Amino acid sequence: MFNNSSANRPLWLIPLAVGVLFLFLPLLGLDYGTSRQVQLSIILALVVSGMNLSLGYAGELALGQVAMYAAGAYAAGLLSIHGQTDLLIQLAAAGLSGLVVGVLTGVPGLRMGSWTLAMTSFFLVLLVPDIISVFKEYTGGRNGLAGINPPTVFGYDLGSTGYYVAMVLVTMAWFAAMRNIVASRMGLALRVLKKSPVLASAMGISVYRMKLMAYALAAIPAGLAGALFANLDLYVSPESIGFGFAVTVLAASVLGGSMSVYGAIAGAGVLQFALNYSSDLQQFSPLIAGVILIVGGVALTGGLAGMGETTVRWLGARLAGAGNDNARASAGASAGTLDHIDGQPLIANDVSKSFGGNQALDGVSLQAMPGAITALIGPNGSGKTTLLNIICGFYRGQSGEISLGGKEMHGLAPDRVARLGVSRTFQTPHIPDQLTVKEVVITGRYTHEQASILGVLFRSPRYRRIVRNDERDAKRVLELVGLAHLESVVATSLPLGQRRLLELARCLISNPGAILLDEVASGLDENEIKVLSRILRELRDKGSTIVLVEHNFQLVTSLADQIFVLAQGRVMSSGTPEHVRADPKVKREYLGVDTGNGDQE
Amino acid sequence: MTLVWGGLALGAIYALVAIGYNIVYLSAKTFNFAHAQLLMLGVFVTYTCLMEWRLPWLLVIVLAAAAVAVVAAIENLVAVRPVKDVHNILVTTLGASTFLDGTVSLIWGNQPLAVSFPLGGNAIDLLGGRVYPIEPILILLVIVIVLADFWISRRFLVGLALRAMSEDPEAAQLRGVNIRAMAFGAFVAAGALAGAAAVFVGPKTFAVSTLGDSLALKGFVALAIGGFGSMPGALVGGAAVGLVEILAARYLGGEYSNPMIFVMLLTVFIIRPAGLFVHSSERTV
Repeated sequence: MFNNSSANRPLWLIPLAVGVLFLFLPLLGLDYGTSRQVQLSIILALVVSGMNLSLGYAGELALGQVAMYAAGAYAAGLLSIHGQTDLLIQLAAAGLSGLVVGVLTGVPGLRMGSWTLAMTSFFLVLLVPDIISVFKEYTGGRNGLAGINPPTVFGYDLGSTGYYVAMVLVTMAWFAAMRNIVASRMGLALRVLKKSPVLASAMGISVYRMKLMAYALAAIPAGLAGALFANLDLYVSPESIGFGFAVTVLAASVLGGSMSVYGAIAGAGVLQFALNYSSDLQQFSPLIAGVILIVGGVALTGGLAGMGETTVRWLGARLAGAGNDNARASAGASAGTLDHIDGQPLIANDVSKSFGGNQALDGVSLQAMPGAITALIGPNGSGKTTLLNIICGFYRGQSGEISLGGKEMHGLAPDRVARLGVSRTFQTPHIPDQLTVKEVVITGRYTHEQASILGVLFRSPRYRRIVRNDERDAKRVLELVGLAHLESVVATSLPLGQRRLLELARCLISNPGAILLDEVASGLDENEIKVLSRILRELRDKGSTIVLVEHNFQLVTSLADQIFVLAQGRVMSSGTPEHVRADPKVKREYLGVDTGNGDQE
Repeated sequence: MTLVWGGLALGAIYALVAIGYNIVYLSAKTFNFAHAQLLMLGVFVTYTCLMEWRLPWLLVIVLAAAAVAVVAAIENLVAVRPVKDVHNILVTTLGASTFLDGTVSLIWGNQPLAVSFPLGGNAIDLLGGRVYPIEPILILLVIVIVLADFWISRRFLVGLALRAMSEDPEAAQLRGVNIRAMAFGAFVAAGALAGAAAVFVGPKTFAVSTLGDSLALKGFVALAIGGFGSMPGALVGGAAVGLVEILAARYLGGEYSNPMIFVMLLTVFIIRPAGLFVHSSERTV
């Protein structure tokens, strides 16, 4: 239970021990210089950790952490100057200020894609000094914010050792929270998002909201770090919060490994000590940071944390020996533990779509019923994929209705459509990297049953119940498709046939009203097609609504109950396989007698 | 009117940066964070050649273009081409820009250095405003560059190939376009253009080591307002940024120009996320 897929569940015991060790460092009699560097490293590590959440896990490069840090520092400093010296209240206010800055800048920045947030947040960093001087009667302008009182907790003066302990505790609390976020189903969903926004939205995850959430959450540690900084020197200088700091944070993130929890501490520590220990080095610091960014971006994709992880895994593999389970995908494995699937009728009525002057779909209607396999076939360029994309919400048709179980959904965003119960696979399976088979399947029910952020952070009873459901349902669907014995294998290492079955399982776990399979048989060998056909028939018999989008005429006629043949954007023929096979127009289209038209996909 | 001239001249510089971003974006769908630093480097090379070595002005243009092209080529080979994940290019080119910032301040220091212009530094009257000769020339220069780009991309094979690449790299490759070489060439050409243009930029901005960061930002805003990939958009976006900056500084105070530019950027993002000159297209699977 504990060591399933160590890669995605960062340890907590060792980091906890390291944290406790840090707590007792003052007892070891550190000199002032070193202990100050440790404190600055802690502050930097918090900011870097926030950047890891948005850059490493949500895949958005954003330098705005520095602005959030400034917001936190000034919020805490201003509170202190106005008499509120309680550190806890200041931390809460600072975290909140960071969050507000994060949301306000994330909303417009995330609307346009990756460079936009990078640049708006970059801009935000340059705005910090301007904003500070606009409000100079409160912030002290370029002279900095002076007159901050020593921090207290419940009225007790902390003193320098007490403050050090408080800093370590705050940092430990954040890293515990970060670890809980990453090692949760939310962490899995973030990986899906990073792999492919299209996949995420096809699974019902709103790309925009998910990224915004990660970016906004990432603002909290930056705000906390700001408060800690303000109380460390009892002075906030605008010079220390500039673009150089942003680059240092990014370099530390890349060096430590952006897609890691504890890499932030290593990266921050190395940079803090390397850049500031001797002042001779300071003028070279942009050069060093630049080199780290280039080398880190090119080579060290996992950073220091990645190297550590590889070592741990290598040791683990050594100790465990060659204990690979060589269980084969037994053809008759699926006992079928799902008794009944609640399929819904999927109905498209008179759908039209043109791209410029090219009429891709011209009044297409299609009905797919529960307990039946409906096939959509047609030559290249006939509009199959276009129709699929309209049903799933990736395109919007010019006219027509599409409904699932009577609920109209034409024109809704893909993630809404997915949440209404339309689930799909892709021509080339979309499988996020580094996840195990079971984890990939679990991501399929992320929006099916959603846990709150607080639930994730504190592992609430509700969150635990959802996780139990995740595990239970994953087991069921994996048994159904015959992959149960591979549940802890890294999913991307599976052969194509099994990856398709895995995508199917990922669809099934959300108990979808309709399943759309895009060229599900292409690239599979005869045996794999047999296994797939058997599973699909089984699903049909349990009541599932299945739509196959296929070229493979043979497969379709043997499997489908109902066939729609598309040609040049219209339904040319429809009915039972026998009927369609006998249709002379279909024969002509498929035997290639009359194919003079330049079709295009 | 004096203010308008000043704003438009500044805007022309931002448009130059945006054009550089565009060339790289159109050829390889990547973003060279360090482009403004390349322009800055060109300004410093101009300073050394023109003010210290007293070389003839036309030779300085050639030298600055060549020097910056070489640096751009190195940047491409070290920080762009080996990067496997496209997302990381943002990180590596930011690294390159930081490195260039650091290099420039190590070599030339942090004090602003004046760069002269052959037509002189005395203000003249033009269309009801006082201008320095460099200002209308900058505006003219950037318009000429955009027109030249328009002409090259429609009349010459290399321009057509570039456009084909930006539409569909795979199809272009199948048609015999060497997309790696073209992307590299475009990257270096953008560098050379930045170097040559820097000779005109220097007299307006001075050679200062913080130039890169502020140009990078405002160039990006110009690009985002006009729309990614649109050359006329870069022109209009640049002018808008330059005017807002100057007018805000004049009527509200210097500390308000960046915030006002930011407000303008956010407004454009909210009203027209793809920029003024680009139509958003439907996404595909």
